[in-house]
Amino acid sequence: MEQFVQQLVNGIMAGSTYAVVALGFGLVFSVMRVVNLAHPEIFMIGAYVAFLVISGLHVPGEGLNVLAAVALFFGVLLVAMLATGAAGLVLERLVIRPTRGTYILTPFIATAGVSIALQNSAQRLFGPDPVRVPSVIPPHTFTLGGVRVTSMQLATFLTAVAIMLALRYYVHSTRWGRATRAVAEKPDVAAACGVNVNLVSQLTVGIASIMAGAAGVALGLLYTSAAPFMGLLYGLKSFICMLVAGNRHIEAIMAVGLLLGVVEAMVTGYISSNLRDAVAFALLLAVLFFRPQGLFGSYEV
Amino acid sequence: MSALLQVSGLEVAYGPVRAVRGVDLEVHQGEIRAILGANGAGKSSIIRAIMGLVKPRGGTVAFGGRALHKLLPHKVNGWGIAWVPEGRQVFSTLTVEENLLMGAFGRRHDQATDARQEQVMDMFPTLRERRKQLAGSLSGGEQQMLAIGRALMSNPRLLLMDEPSLGLAPKVVRFLFDLALEIRARGISILMAEQNARQALRVADYAYLLEVGEIRGGGSAREMEASETIRRVYLGG
Repeated sequence: MEQFVQQLVNGIMAGSTYAVVALGFGLVFSVMRVVNLAHPEIFMIGAYVAFLVISGLHVPGEGLNVLAAVALFFGVLLVAMLATGAAGLVLERLVIRPTRGTYILTPFIATAGVSIALQNSAQRLFGPDPVRVPSVIPPHTFTLGGVRVTSMQLATFLTAVAIMLALRYYVHSTRWGRATRAVAEKPDVAAACGVNVNLVSQLTVGIASIMAGAAGVALGLLYTSAAPFMGLLYGLKSFICMLVAGNRHIEAIMAVGLLLGVVEAMVTGYISSNLRDAVAFALLLAVLFFRPQGLFGSYEV
Repeated sequence: MSALLQVSGLEVAYGPVRAVRGVDLEVHQGEIRAILGANGAGKSSIIRAIMGLVKPRGGTVAFGGRALHKLLPHKVNGWGIAWVPEGRQVFSTLTVEENLLMGAFGRRHDQATDARQEQVMDMFPTLRERRKQLAGSLSGGEQQMLAIGRALMSNPRLLLMDEPSLGLAPKVVRFLFDLALEIRARGISILMAEQNARQALRVADYAYLLEVGEIRGGGSAREMEASETIRRVYLGG
């Protein structure tokens, strides 16, 4: 029983980052009908920014007091979010907007090209092997009722939750969030109501990129590494989360992300860690067979 | 007196298909004008071109003397034109209230917006009842009211209505066309595209006849009602 709860907690921690990256995919897809294949690479950029900032500052890594560590964490997060946000805006303007239209494959292919270019650039700049990202959060393991959670896991989870809550607030309770929902449903009608649809596209890709960047920082710190192709598997799993959840509700993508994390943790804990990566694909197959519109329903594309 | 809306030589094409061929029309301040025609005649294309949703291949659209035909829809809305699309097209995942707020998106959200929202809900009491409901759960007639209310929220000078009667029960249709008169009484001009010639001619000041993308005739509502062709083809004898 104790192992079950431990794996559950591990799963929720890991799943929260899947959810954040998947939300970025889902946001751009539901608002713009575009699959941004470069999204996982923006996540990768986030991790590398963390690497650059932390190693650039020559931070000792251990021995920081808690306050300094938290400040540094937020600082790195902020820089990464600015960098990835900017990257997202550039991507939208140069690649997505010109290729957007009725044919869904054009931006798909264009962003795939960007994705490959980014992977190879990272490889060229940083080498093909993972670089070590010094963890800034002082390692500490909290034990609650027999369940162990590390401080880094907690930091990752709290960051992810904060991001998801912020996104939810934006989408449901702000003027531009409302406009974003309107554009997702009926862009022509939204435009005729006075919404600058190009601006909403920029905002949307920008927000999704900021989210991916933050997730990249969290994961880079959690696994203390950044690698040129880290976006691949992570992005694929997050993309699967988006497909499985359907694009109707944000909450659905969050739930599926967490679900995936939990099931992976259970499979790792009870069966074999080798099967962990297969879980996502098994889930996708199951959903495609039995409920292709996604577990929680979608709009038609 | 120059017209509020002046459309000259409008050409709209989708690939090789010329949907609108050299259309001239105008709407004067305080008028209701109707574009009559069958399905596929090109009525919606004219409306969409005025709104900036489709780029005309030729011709001009001027509003209050200002050239609009190169502008994006949100800019057209900003100059004072609002659109009631064909088939209602309410934002079904937004609440009634959010739909109305979207109508006023082009303006700052201030007291005037709140006042206008109250006005619209006075005009359509069932919208007030259902303000927190998702728009997708409303009936067809209620959605049409919401679509019109939403368009009125931007305080437009010209309302473009695309087939307002489509798919609605006769009693609702009559109510809607009476509403058009009320809207005109508030100083808002209307250009409507309609298949239902009988109702349209009841409220319009002037009507155009559109066939296969071309204006085949136009005249005051009385003249059009009296014309043989109209009576035979559109009013059923």
